[in-house]
Amino acid sequence: MVTLAAALLLLGRAETYVVDRARQVVTDLAAPLLELASRPVSAARRVVESTDQYAYVFDENERLREENARLLAWKEAALKLEAKVARFEALLNVQVDPSIGYVTGRVVGDSGGPFVETLIANVGSNQGVESGQAVIDSDGLIGRIVATGPEASRILLLTDLNSRVPVVVEPSQIRAVLAGDNSFWPRLEFLPAIAPISVGDRVVTSGDGGLLPPGLPIGTLVEADDGFLRVQTFSDRSRLDMIRVLQYEFPREIDAQDAPAVLQPVASEVQGETPSASTPSAAPAAEGGT
Amino acid sequence: MSFEPISPSSAGRAGKIALLVLPFLAGFLCMLLSFVPFSRIFGVEVAPAFGLIAVYYWAVQRPDVFPPYGVFAIGLFYDLLSAGPLGLWALVYLIIYGVVVSQRQLMIGRTFSLFWLGFLVSSVIAGFLGWVLASLYFGQVLSPGPVLVQMAATVALFPLFAKLFEQLLQRLLVQG
Repeated sequence: MVTLAAALLLLGRAETYVVDRARQVVTDLAAPLLELASRPVSAARRVVESTDQYAYVFDENERLREENARLLAWKEAALKLEAKVARFEALLNVQVDPSIGYVTGRVVGDSGGPFVETLIANVGSNQGVESGQAVIDSDGLIGRIVATGPEASRILLLTDLNSRVPVVVEPSQIRAVLAGDNSFWPRLEFLPAIAPISVGDRVVTSGDGGLLPPGLPIGTLVEADDGFLRVQTFSDRSRLDMIRVLQYEFPREIDAQDAPAVLQPVASEVQGETPSASTPSAAPAAEGGT
Repeated sequence: MSFEPISPSSAGRAGKIALLVLPFLAGFLCMLLSFVPFSRIFGVEVAPAFGLIAVYYWAVQRPDVFPPYGVFAIGLFYDLLSAGPLGLWALVYLIIYGVVVSQRQLMIGRTFSLFWLGFLVSSVIAGFLGWVLASLYFGQVLSPGPVLVQMAATVALFPLFAKLFEQLLQRLLVQG
């Protein structure tokens, strides 16, 4: 029995299809049970939260008043900027990002183990969830889907050892990779040697690689004791409940230009001609392109 | 004492089956309990290893009704559900089970605090083994923080579960 377990450990290292499949089947079967069990937990959390709220209601009110005053100023600024952006977009004929569909679900299962940072959600391929899709909660990105069954799927959190997400540090637009290492704060990797970034900067997804939509908020930069720049995520890992799976489709339907048909004649007669005034032989291709 | 009939009565047989099935079922439910997101209420991140409590309790009290393949199955399902290294906890639980069964004479019939101390030692060994194996598996030294928190929580919750199992065992013995 011990040798069998050890053999499985070695076999599982290879990440075979059978292992993945078995994991998914077990997860799918356990999901309804876990969902049942997580209901009272959610109810208990609501009780705890509401008592918390009663206890701090005056402080909270004071804080919210202040915040409201501050936000009104921001609203003014945002409205001005919005008008400005709309005007610029109209001028530049910008393609606005296609709206992203989503599926809402609940977290029904914790990772359970100390060496993995994954969650089980009660939405699966029957609801249109696919591997690779981004998962957010009301505060920001929490991870992405790594496996789906018909009724349940597994979320790999940003903090997991295997999580790598391409990000952009705002406002300097420095690109980096956000790498989890099972600690609470994922690490920024592949930063340029001299990067004009500082603690407190906002980190959002860059959309590089086409898997995750660009611009999803992730967190703010913090400096860790070990000298690494780490990210404090906006979402609170221990309070995750409702989540949203984004069905982002990378815009692939960009019209491919018919390169050989255009190149051939242009290459032979490229004598100071502007590209718009195309030669007769290239006309059909050019017409097709416009 | 009267002669036992060669084929036991149906009630007796049901009791035997219950004695074989229910401890495993209890252990299995404990394992599932690790995945219930209690962290949402308390803000504690790592779920206690409830499965280990079951393995330890039955290894000390009645290893005959909780065979090694039951331990293996619980560990394996734990691995499958947690999406961690497959076989990691199955192996660790089996080793703990083997060690505890070999040392159970030390703890049988002694005080509860000794029983609890035994569990503390077992979970330290389990946590250390799990950490070493996972570090080898992932090829890097993992931070030991989460596993320490997990084992501390598990040891703290041990008396509660031990009481529950004791109730179960007594019910079963009365029936069987």
